[in-house]
Amino acid sequence: MSAPASPSDLAARIADAHARRAPLRIRGAGTWLDAGRPCAGDPLDIGALAGIVEYTPGDLTITARAGTSLRELDRVTAAEGQWLGLDPAGAPEGTIGATVATASDGPLAIAFGRVRDLVLGLECITGTGEVTRVGGRVVKNVAGFDLVRLHTGAWGTLGVISEVTLRLRARPEVDRAFVVTGDERASLESRLAPLTDLPLAPLALELLDPALSAALGLARGTCLLVRLGGNAERVDAQQRALGALGDVREVDTAVFMRLAADEPSDALVARVSHERTRVAETFRHVLEFCGTHAQWEPLVRASLSRGLVRVVLPISSTRDDVAAANVDWPSFVRTIAPPGAHVSWERLPAEAWPHVPCAVADTISTGLRDALDPARVLNAGLLGEPARRADAVPRADARRVLA
Amino acid sequence: MTTSPTTSAGPSPLPTCALPDSPLAKAAAGLDACVHCGFCLPACPTYVNLQDENDSPRGRLLLMRRLLDGELDVRDPDVGTHMDRCLGCRACETACPSGVPYGQLLEATRATTRVARPVPLVARVVLGVFQREMLLSLVLVGARVLRATRLPDWLARVLPARLAFPFAMLASTTPARLPQASAHDRVLHRVRVRASQARRTVVRLDGCVMRGLFAHTNAATTRVLSATAHTVRSAPGQGCCGALHAHAGDLDAARDMARRNIAAFERVPDALIAVNSAGCGAMLKEYGHLLHDDPAWHARAEAVASRVRDVSELLADRLLPAAREASPAAPTARDSAHGAASSPPVRIAYDPPCHLMHAQRITREPQAVLSAIPGVELVPLVDADQCCGSAGIYNLVEPDTSDAVLAPKLRHVADARVEWLVSGNPGCLMQLGAGLMRSGSSTRAVHPIDLLDHALQAAPAERVGEPDLA
Amino acid sequence: MITAGLADALRSIVGPRWVKQRPAELTAYDSDALPGYRATPSFVVLPASRDEVIAVVRLLAQHGVPFVPRGAGTGLSGGALANDAVIIGLNRLTRIHAIDAGNRIAHVEPGVVNAVLQREVAPFGLQYAPDPSSQSACTIGGNVAENAGGPHCLKYGVTLNHVAAVTVCLPNGELVQFGDPASERDGYDLCGLFIGSEGCFGIATDVWVRLLPVAPAVRTLLADFPSLTDAARAVSAIIATGIVPAALEMMDQATIRAVEASIYAAGYPTDVAAVLLAEVDGLEAGLDADARTIERCCREAGARDVRIARTDGDRARLWQGRKKAFGALGRIAPHLVVQDAVVPRTRLPDVLETIAAIGARHGVAVCNVFHAGDGNIHPNISYDASDHAQAERVHAAMSEIMQACIDAGGTITGEHGVGLDKLGYMDALFTEPSLAAMCAVREVFDPDRRANPGKVVPVHACREWGGRR
Repeated sequence: MSAPASPSDLAARIADAHARRAPLRIRGAGTWLDAGRPCAGDPLDIGALAGIVEYTPGDLTITARAGTSLRELDRVTAAEGQWLGLDPAGAPEGTIGATVATASDGPLAIAFGRVRDLVLGLECITGTGEVTRVGGRVVKNVAGFDLVRLHTGAWGTLGVISEVTLRLRARPEVDRAFVVTGDERASLESRLAPLTDLPLAPLALELLDPALSAALGLARGTCLLVRLGGNAERVDAQQRALGALGDVREVDTAVFMRLAADEPSDALVARVSHERTRVAETFRHVLEFCGTHAQWEPLVRASLSRGLVRVVLPISSTRDDVAAANVDWPSFVRTIAPPGAHVSWERLPAEAWPHVPCAVADTISTGLRDALDPARVLNAGLLGEPARRADAVPRADARRVLA
Repeated sequence: MTTSPTTSAGPSPLPTCALPDSPLAKAAAGLDACVHCGFCLPACPTYVNLQDENDSPRGRLLLMRRLLDGELDVRDPDVGTHMDRCLGCRACETACPSGVPYGQLLEATRATTRVARPVPLVARVVLGVFQREMLLSLVLVGARVLRATRLPDWLARVLPARLAFPFAMLASTTPARLPQASAHDRVLHRVRVRASQARRTVVRLDGCVMRGLFAHTNAATTRVLSATAHTVRSAPGQGCCGALHAHAGDLDAARDMARRNIAAFERVPDALIAVNSAGCGAMLKEYGHLLHDDPAWHARAEAVASRVRDVSELLADRLLPAAREASPAAPTARDSAHGAASSPPVRIAYDPPCHLMHAQRITREPQAVLSAIPGVELVPLVDADQCCGSAGIYNLVEPDTSDAVLAPKLRHVADARVEWLVSGNPGCLMQLGAGLMRSGSSTRAVHPIDLLDHALQAAPAERVGEPDLA
Repeated sequence: MITAGLADALRSIVGPRWVKQRPAELTAYDSDALPGYRATPSFVVLPASRDEVIAVVRLLAQHGVPFVPRGAGTGLSGGALANDAVIIGLNRLTRIHAIDAGNRIAHVEPGVVNAVLQREVAPFGLQYAPDPSSQSACTIGGNVAENAGGPHCLKYGVTLNHVAAVTVCLPNGELVQFGDPASERDGYDLCGLFIGSEGCFGIATDVWVRLLPVAPAVRTLLADFPSLTDAARAVSAIIATGIVPAALEMMDQATIRAVEASIYAAGYPTDVAAVLLAEVDGLEAGLDADARTIERCCREAGARDVRIARTDGDRARLWQGRKKAFGALGRIAPHLVVQDAVVPRTRLPDVLETIAAIGARHGVAVCNVFHAGDGNIHPNISYDASDHAQAERVHAAMSEIMQACIDAGGTITGEHGVGLDKLGYMDALFTEPSLAAMCAVREVFDPDRRANPGKVVPVHACREWGGRR
């Protein structure tokens, strides 16, 4: 079947699938197909729904079809001295639709916000084929229930995003990147301690493990990768402040593009999140965990002020590697995170997924799925959701999330 | 049930006034300024402590509106309850962006509902006494005698709370024993008075409770004013200001008392009227409004009202801030030899009377007076702008609410760890004094003028010929 | 439904003092801060704890009785009005359970007043960024329900961006937690969905708010303009420079005069058409350069004068005037309509001109006081409702103004919420399927439609969705 060329085509395809109870697998640039749980269905290719719908630079907002690539958005906005301020891991061919659907962000999130903070409005086709438009094109909006937030990060399971409106930022007058290295013998905590009191408001502040530092050609050991923006005076002052953390060396800001784009696509990927005050502890735990899986040459980085650690375990040759490793998956998927931390898996081998708890099994999430995609045709099984409402977890289980 | 059409801009049609010619109807224009924004809620001590919007200014204004519209009856006991519970502190007025004249509306409402619902017996007795000069004098003399026996101190400790409180209030009016400054402090720390100020003639409001129980403060007021280039004259014939009656809604009694005072002060024309009691000062300043319906007296009332000054207003521009650290003049060898080093400053906190801060909007001047007193450290008091629960005779007629409002105040005072709690109103001094005494606190309540007078008694003021900075 | 037994049962949960039933006792609760609307609740219940809230909600569920949550009643969309429903007041839940300065999170009850939270976190050098103009009175629970903004959300974002997690008592009495205060989680963003749900999805009993360090330096500028359009052009110019001001607020002459007549007089010039209040904050380095850029933008757009606040007191006064402006409008006339539209920022100059033209055509005076940097305008009309012809004209003008904002690509509410007041504009803003999807989502939380019924989404939209399913 040909790819839908308009939202109404798309709606018709989904309505038909709903009527036939025939699952659909949503696809944009195809960069996310190996992420999430195994998910089968007729391919629903929205890559043709691409292009800028409306862009008034003075409003600092842009509306684009979901299939528009991040590269295209960057190109169009750069011409006006603006940018999206969103740098998720992955190739720039990735689409904005997938970025919003998966709520993928990157190092810039500490300055400009996460995806949920940047999306202003959506056009979204529900699982019954209804074209809905929620949110709007203005930067502040509380009209109606906030289905924008609901669809952001829902991996298409509550509706297929066909168009998005995003908040833009002006590109900083000065934009520079720095690598900070320090005494490798000192503890991470003591190396990071000065951060608390430094007059810094960086655009990005990532802690890279030695493997990632080396892969990017930045340093031999653990290093800090810092991006500073603003007027020259502000950047200079912050650059001086960085000196308190170690040796400072300027690098090309393109390093951030490489950090995002060079991430191996065939890999196990997890995000480990904990309180920001424990980020060093989380980072160390993850490194120790990785030490037991050194055959995969793990790459680890942390967004310090978010308390978020991103782990990439490249599978160097074939999937046989994984099988050969004879991994204890139930333990693997859990122990990557220290006690009290939360792990979100992006990519895992199929055999590991059954051991990852489903994040949308509670009664409200199940109810929302039933309300917006009653036949469960959209990316069925991708989030490990229970099959039908009748099988929904009992109430006691919903209360699992209690304080 | 009346919900307006969902997109209509307009409210339901306005009903005609159900209480024509009532005091409330005459004040109704003030109600229109209220836009229901709710900014008054956190300012209101009864809302903050009772947690019910019926006990908030906005809630009471809505009740007033419904009385006028005839939807609620003046005899409705709930209306009475929530109106009675208002302290009349007028903190809502300094929070209100719209300028709703809440105090006037409250008095008008009480005057309107009084017809149908008389005030409680205890209030009637108290108001009756204050209305009769001879009787009041007699009662105050009796109170002074009782106070001198020290019996109230004992009763305040042994009686159950409800009965003990009035005795604690009386006991707390005993003149404060202020610390003796060391010889060294007397030399170094003197009150500094601007020398270049022109002499002003003032007449003191003697008051009723001030005259009866705070005679020492009245005397101190005269001394302090004299020391700061004021000529103090007397105005015989003055009496109680009528504030208690006005707040309770007995506007006729208040007007009678106002007329008597106006006549008394007219005998000393051109003199400013110095008031050391915030509640009385607020009332005097509003005599014009009180008598606005009386053509014979309105202009005279306005004229007298325009001459009224809180004593802090008179003093603020005459005093210079005291030296806070060691005096610029280094201690002499002789002082050091005697080991008479400067003693640490005495910690004090200021609790502004509502009728000074909210009704008269005076905040800067009392601070200026306190900063002129040497040897003290002014400690910030959390929620100082909240009422202490005294509110005239409120603590006698609404003891539960009064206690509820006083409790957080006492907590904040305890947290401030001060020796003296300063407030320029007799009601507040008695409420705070009694509360502190009954809670076993060592902090005492004192009038700022008493503190200033004490400093002036310890050493004569230093005249500083500083040029006028204006 | 509502029976005498229900009142007794409620009293047994919260204590007799905290159930209001008699007409005079319900008066204070028959309106919120939206002028011109009234609805009398069946009862008012004032629970003191999470457990009491749950018990009350469960009891109402058993009896099939609708309820409306209420904080301080400072909302401007009629969201806290209860028609044939029980008001559950959350103002007694005022505990701040914990302030975790290291992780920059505070765990609070919904009745905590926004300004009280600010005061409590200030000693840690932290702030809670959303600062609605009603912050001295409004509660965190109400802020969550309305997704409240404020002047400084231009840089820092609205409530949505600052709440990490909520515990919610669902309309059936079940307690659930959305979001997580300690970590970022996958799964649907139920916390984001809940924020701004205007009490239709349940009652927040616990809120974990994110805190931010207080900016080390700040510059506040006041620019005055000979015309509203010039001021609007200055706003566009400032936004275009790429500087993200902490706030960018505009007031027109009528508003300035009302403020200057009030106790919050800030020293705004009363002889100019508009003032722009701009603030930049952040690191000290480079801040003066930003302030100069803003000053230049203002002067180039025609500002008569630009001054910078010299002291903290100066700055506080300038802000007090702005924040109390809405209340001060009560001085102009007995009644007031308040609106809350948002338009794309480049459209500000022409939308403001259109609004003035609409006002002139209908013979009504429109005052403007608004968050210019966001394009969030508050056209307000003061009038006298006893003049029925005038009231009609006000109504007609407001409808046209709202339509003009929608036509400009804007929305009908930026921070006040839909509530009752803006329900009539929802059809113009959203398509039928979009409204139906909102209804469907609401029913997941509240299948019986008992939580704040009749608000946010027009009832007809819900019926249609029900039919389709």
